[in-house]
Amino acid sequence: MVYKHNLTPLPHIVTEFDKKDALLSLARIRKTLGGQVVLDGVDAFVGAGEIVVLLGPNGAGKTTLLSTACGRIAPDSGSVTVCGGDPRLRPEIRRHLGFVPQGLALYPYLSVKENLQTFGRMMGVTKHDLSWRIEQALERGALAEHADRRVETLSGGMRRRLNIVASLLHDPKLLLLDEPTVGVDVNARKRIHELLRQLRAKGIGILITTHDLEQAASLADRVVFLVAGRVRLQGAPRELIQSNYGRGRELIVILGQQADIEQSRALTERGLTALHGGLAWIGAVDGSYTDAAGWTQDLDAAGLSVREIRVREPDLEGVFLRVTGEELHL
Amino acid sequence: MSAAILRAMLLGLLRDRGALLMAFVLPVIFFVIMAEIFTATSGANLDLTVVVLDEIKSGVSTRLVAALEKDDSITLGAAGDTDGEALRALVRSGSADIGLILRNDAEPLDEAGGFGPAPLLVVSDPSRGFVEPVLMGRLRRAYFSALPDVAMGNVVAELENQFLTLTDEQRDELAGGLSEMRADAEAGREVGWSFEDLIAYERVAGGETVNLVAYSAGAVAFLFLLFAAVHGAVSLLEESESGVLERILAGPGGIGVLVDGKFLYVVVQGFVQVSVIFVIAWLFYSVDVPARFFPWLIVTAAASLSAAGLAMLLVAACRTRRQAQTVANTVILIISAIGGSMVPRIFMPDLLKNLGWLTPNTWALEAYSGILWRGEGLGGVILPVALLLASGLIGWYVARLLAERRVSRY
Repeated sequence: MVYKHNLTPLPHIVTEFDKKDALLSLARIRKTLGGQVVLDGVDAFVGAGEIVVLLGPNGAGKTTLLSTACGRIAPDSGSVTVCGGDPRLRPEIRRHLGFVPQGLALYPYLSVKENLQTFGRMMGVTKHDLSWRIEQALERGALAEHADRRVETLSGGMRRRLNIVASLLHDPKLLLLDEPTVGVDVNARKRIHELLRQLRAKGIGILITTHDLEQAASLADRVVFLVAGRVRLQGAPRELIQSNYGRGRELIVILGQQADIEQSRALTERGLTALHGGLAWIGAVDGSYTDAAGWTQDLDAAGLSVREIRVREPDLEGVFLRVTGEELHL
Repeated sequence: MSAAILRAMLLGLLRDRGALLMAFVLPVIFFVIMAEIFTATSGANLDLTVVVLDEIKSGVSTRLVAALEKDDSITLGAAGDTDGEALRALVRSGSADIGLILRNDAEPLDEAGGFGPAPLLVVSDPSRGFVEPVLMGRLRRAYFSALPDVAMGNVVAELENQFLTLTDEQRDELAGGLSEMRADAEAGREVGWSFEDLIAYERVAGGETVNLVAYSAGAVAFLFLLFAAVHGAVSLLEESESGVLERILAGPGGIGVLVDGKFLYVVVQGFVQVSVIFVIAWLFYSVDVPARFFPWLIVTAAASLSAAGLAMLLVAACRTRRQAQTVANTVILIISAIGGSMVPRIFMPDLLKNLGWLTPNTWALEAYSGILWRGEGLGGVILPVALLLASGLIGWYVARLLAERRVSRY
């Protein structure tokens, strides 16, 4: 059977966490830029040893939220707390914070080591500590063999790893990453994920922005869906899926042609929600479901031209759709 | 923290051959070209190509042409077998700097006075007006050295016409003396009579040749100092685009660290760049920098500071690299033209000379001219040096404010 789709948003599911211990706490953040509301009452937090993934389409306000968390942008209202203080008002707080920009914020004409020396000094690492911190960073990024190579000669994945470890030299408690795996291949992405998990194991709190649902599902302890400046949904990926699908699976119906009004009603009555302008419909089915032929007959009887019926493990996109009733255009 | 930026920038410069070429080789090439021009055009060393047509072909005219030919600074060209028109065409086309016709249908060359046309016709192009007086000087020298008997004979003839009458005995004596004079001149001996004997020369503080070379060293150095400073400062915007700025802003130092580091780099780079030019000027063009080393050091530091401040200010006021390049190039070319980096200030009308005082180029050039040309100490150039220092520090401070304001606007 098909679960009846509930268009009313479900309550946000948040892992139990003592917010008082949060390394980063954003409370009711509102920010307007150029007359447009970019962040509209955002609440979010990151604890020690936790990876939080901020998901959202372009223009959702993810980068603005990261910049606010760094203390670079002053919110119109709301409060930002990093390790107990406001990073904007107390610059020394920023020593606890590492920021990895979306672009490769490196000097291409310098070697890996020289880049680390430069950024280490800029982040206030003393000369005394710099050499072992660099060694630690090289090890973390699996770049020790390439320490003397110029950045412009490195592969994309190596550059991305260097981009990350260059922000760890001052031993931050909180790491903010803006799209850290953009443009890297699968293997390079795996290594970056490994690195981030290692950092989590060391107790570093991590906040990542991404468009990548797979990355969010595999890495995140918690995901935060940000759409048009508002948090639409947040929680642990597994819990979100579990609470929406239980042991069920996701059903996807691909139509040969657009459903008319009557056909759309029939599909909606069967608990399906339109995707991609009505050519695809999504719903949930019992986990034990195997009778695709029965479904085909049922939809044929409704006069629908079905091209394909798929049953798959539910993912965060489906959760978002089911909870908010909106497609997530990432 | 700023030292880390300085180090990164210096390493970047050392590894970028194009940037090294732009910063240190191109200015030197430009300076050498300017110095060669100024060395050649400053007074006695101007080489002229003179095309001569001798229609008279007498003994006297041949001697005069031969004397001109002996002058090392004159290259004689023949007008060919045709008439004066061929000569005029050569001058008009620029193949010759000036033309000289020894005319047949005129008063005799060896007799002064007379009411007919002059025997020497100088043909010149008005666009090269400075050539005419130079040739006149050379011609006068040739006339007195090669034809002293003719010159003296003309003087005596004029005296006899106007004031006195010589006896036959005196005429014979005179003719003998003039023959001796001619013989001496032809043998290359001093004839003991020349207009040049009336003039003595004294050169102060190095002489004109060195002055203009010293000037061009300062002029070229400051022009390229501005370009290199902007090139260095523009990296501030590049780092904003690459994300380095974001990374730094997230740290405790803030934008101030970056601006300070860049400023320091641009000052150091500028100092080295100017030094290279003055070393060349000292080694190859006799600009005595070591004798004025301390004042030179202060002026160079002040000039580098000023260029760095201006460059940082221009870049900090722009949003994109392209905008910064366009604005900076426009500003640099205008202030360099007005300020005397392209054309020596001595050739400028008063209005432009006064306007020049609004530019750092003029301050730098006045300071360098003061210490290397006029022989003044630092006290004599205190105003331009103070202006350079103040403009550099103000530029840096305002650039810092602009950059801080920019990042706080996010």
